[in-house]
Amino acid sequence: MEIVYVYTKKRSEFGRQCNFSDRPAELHVDVVPDPTLTTEFIERNPCDTAIQCTQEMSEHEVNTERFETESRGINHVEGGWPKDINPAEVEQTIRFRKKVEKEEHYINTVQQLGSVMEHCIKQNNAIDIYEEYFDNMEVESAEEPPSAKTINVFRDPNEIKRTATSLSWYPDGGKKLAVAYSNLEFQRSSPDTSFDSYIWDIENPNKPELTVKPVSPLVCLEYNPKDSHILVGGCYNGQIAFWDTRKGSHPVEMSPIEQSHRDPVYKTIWLQSKTGTECFSSSTDGQVLWWDIRKLGEPTEKLVLDPTRKLNIDNALGGISLEYEPTMPTKFMVGTEQGSIVSCNRKAKTPAEKIVCLYPGHYGPVYSLQRNPFFPKNFLTVGDWTARIWSEDIREACIMWTKYHMSYLTDGTWSPVRPAVFFTTKMDGTLDVWDYLFKQNDPTLSIQVCDEAVHSLRVQDNGRIVACGSHSGTTTLLELSSGLCTMQKNEKNLVSGMFERETKREKILEARHREMRLKERTQSQQGARQDEEPRAEDDEEKELIEKAEKEFLRAIEAEKKSLEGRQVEEIEEKEKASEEESEKPADDPQQAED
Amino acid sequence: MDDFQAGEETTFVVDDVSTVIKESIENTIGGNAYQHNKVNQWTSNVVEQCLNQLTKLGRPFKYIVTAVIMQKNGAGLHTASSCYWDNSTDGSCTLRWENKSMYCIVSVFGLAI
Repeated sequence: MEIVYVYTKKRSEFGRQCNFSDRPAELHVDVVPDPTLTTEFIERNPCDTAIQCTQEMSEHEVNTERFETESRGINHVEGGWPKDINPAEVEQTIRFRKKVEKEEHYINTVQQLGSVMEHCIKQNNAIDIYEEYFDNMEVESAEEPPSAKTINVFRDPNEIKRTATSLSWYPDGGKKLAVAYSNLEFQRSSPDTSFDSYIWDIENPNKPELTVKPVSPLVCLEYNPKDSHILVGGCYNGQIAFWDTRKGSHPVEMSPIEQSHRDPVYKTIWLQSKTGTECFSSSTDGQVLWWDIRKLGEPTEKLVLDPTRKLNIDNALGGISLEYEPTMPTKFMVGTEQGSIVSCNRKAKTPAEKIVCLYPGHYGPVYSLQRNPFFPKNFLTVGDWTARIWSEDIREACIMWTKYHMSYLTDGTWSPVRPAVFFTTKMDGTLDVWDYLFKQNDPTLSIQVCDEAVHSLRVQDNGRIVACGSHSGTTTLLELSSGLCTMQKNEKNLVSGMFERETKREKILEARHREMRLKERTQSQQGARQDEEPRAEDDEEKELIEKAEKEFLRAIEAEKKSLEGRQVEEIEEKEKASEEESEKPADDPQQAED
Repeated sequence: MDDFQAGEETTFVVDDVSTVIKESIENTIGGNAYQHNKVNQWTSNVVEQCLNQLTKLGRPFKYIVTAVIMQKNGAGLHTASSCYWDNSTDGSCTLRWENKSMYCIVSVFGLAI
C-alpha cells in the first residue's frame, strides 16, 4: 500500500507546544446479544478436519516395490472335522454325522435353507432371467473415432536390455506371447548380455512364464501352429533350434553349425505338412534352408537366392523376411536385404527354376512381407520409408504405396480380420494403423508406443490385440477399438474392387511402357540407316518441351499479375475507407452500405 | 478552538470522514453475506480503502483506521476508547454498519500534524 502525503508546515509552527487534554472513554459500539439469531444457524457436530503429519509437496510419486507372486494350487483332500475326530476312521466320521443329524439346530437350519432354496428354484423355473433376450439384434457400428489403449507392458528383466526382434502368439487363443531378444547392432552387445528369450503370460507382466535358453541369442522365434508346445528359433550365429515347453528351457535339438546359416537367421516359418514338423528359414547369407525338426542334423533342402539363377552364392541376395501362406504351400516369397522381393516355387524341377521372378521392392531391406489374408494375390511389403502393396501379376511396380515418412519403417502386417487394414511400425516408436478404404494419405490412427524405435509387430488372431517390441526389449500390448477389428459392411467387395482397379492401372502403365520401349528400339534400328530422323524426333521433342514450358510460365505469370492486381485493389479500398472514416465519422451507416 | 487557517482545514471533520467510511464499506462488503473464508480479505480491503480515501482529502492529519467484522449469530459486542490528545484539532469517528448476516464497525482516529 503506497500512500504518499506531502504537507507543508511553517517553520514557526515547529516545536509548537502540545496542548494535550484527556478525552474520557467513549463507547463506540454496543451490540446487544440476541439469542434469537442462533436459530439462523445449525450446529455441526462433529466437524471433520483432515490433518496429515507429512511434508507438504507439490508433486510426489510413490511406487510400491514389485511383489513377485506365483500361482500355486492346493489339493484339499478332507477337512472340516472337529479336533477329536480322525477323518481316516470311517466309524468316527459316521458316528459324528449321525450325532449332528439328530441335533435340533441342524434340522432347523436345513429346513430354513430348504425354503430359501425352494424360492430360488421356483423363481428360476418361472422365468429364465439369464436367457439371451436380444439374439437377433445386429451390432450397430459405433461412430467412435479409432483408438488404441495399452493393456500391458512387458519389460526385459535383464540389466542389459536387448531389442525385442520377434514376437509370436500362442496358437490357441493367444494367451501367451513368445518374444525373442537379441542385439542386432553389429558387435555392439557387451559380453554380459544374456542370451535368454522369454515366453510371457499376457496376464502377468511381472515375471515371464518360461525362459528359453539358447546357445546364441535368438533373432526369431515361432510357435508351431499345429502343436502349441513346440517352438522353433533362429539364432544369431545361424543355427536353428527347437524347444518343447514341456521339456524345459533348453533346446531339444539344435542344428549343427556346419550345416546351418552363416549369418543370423532372420526369419523362420513353419510349413503346412502332414507331420507338422517342417519349417524353413532365411538368412542374410543368401540361403533359404528347409528343416525337419525331427532330424535337425542337416537341412532337407537348400536354395541359394541368386537372381541370375546360377546358384552362385557370391551373387546371392541376403534374405531378411519370408512369406508363406498355408493355402498356397508350394509358393513362397523372400524379402531381401538389397530391397528386392524374390518369388519362388518350391516344387520346381531344377533348383534354377525355383526362383520364379523378382519384384523391384524398396530402396532398403524389405523388413516385412505378408500376403493379404483375404486376397492372397496382393501382398504388403515394408522397407525404407514406405509401405507398398503389390499384386502378384504386376512385376514392375507396386500397385499402391504410402507416402514417404520421416523415419524408417521397421515392420508391417495385415489385420487378420479386416482386409483393408494393416499396421506398420517406425523407428521413431510409432505404430500406424492404416485403413486403406477410409484414408490412403495418412494412417487412420497413429500411436506413439514408446520413445525408442519399435522393431517388431504381431497381431493376435482375433485382430484386436497388437504386440509391439521395442529397441530396449519392452513389449507393449495394445488393444484396438472395435471399429478397427470388426469387418465393415461390404468391405471385402470394396477392397477387392480397389485392388483390381489399381492392378489394372499398373497393367495399363506397364503395357504403355512396353510399347514405348518397343517404339524406341525400332526407331533406333531405323536410326542406324537414317541418322536425321532420330534427330528430328529429338528436335520435335525439344520443341514440345519448350512449348510446354512457355505455356506453364505464361500461366504462372498471369496468375501472379491477377493476384497483384487484386492486392492493389484491396489496399486502395482500405485507404479509401480509412480516409472516409476519419473525415465523417457520422456517416458510418452509409459506408457500411458501401 | 478558533484557530482556523484560511484555505485549509485543520480540525477533524467527522461528517466527511463518516461518508468516506460508509463508501468504503459499501464497496467492499455491500451485498455480501458473511463468509468465513473471505472475511480476512474484506477487513483488509475496508481498512485500505478508507485510508486511501482519507489521504486523498488532503488534510494534515495522521490517521489510524480499525475495522471489525462480526457475524450475526446472537453474540454481543462492546467497544470503547479513550484518548489523550489535542481536543481542538484531533478527533475520532466510529461507524457501525450492518446487513442481514454481519456487523461491520470501523473507527477512524485523526491526529493533526
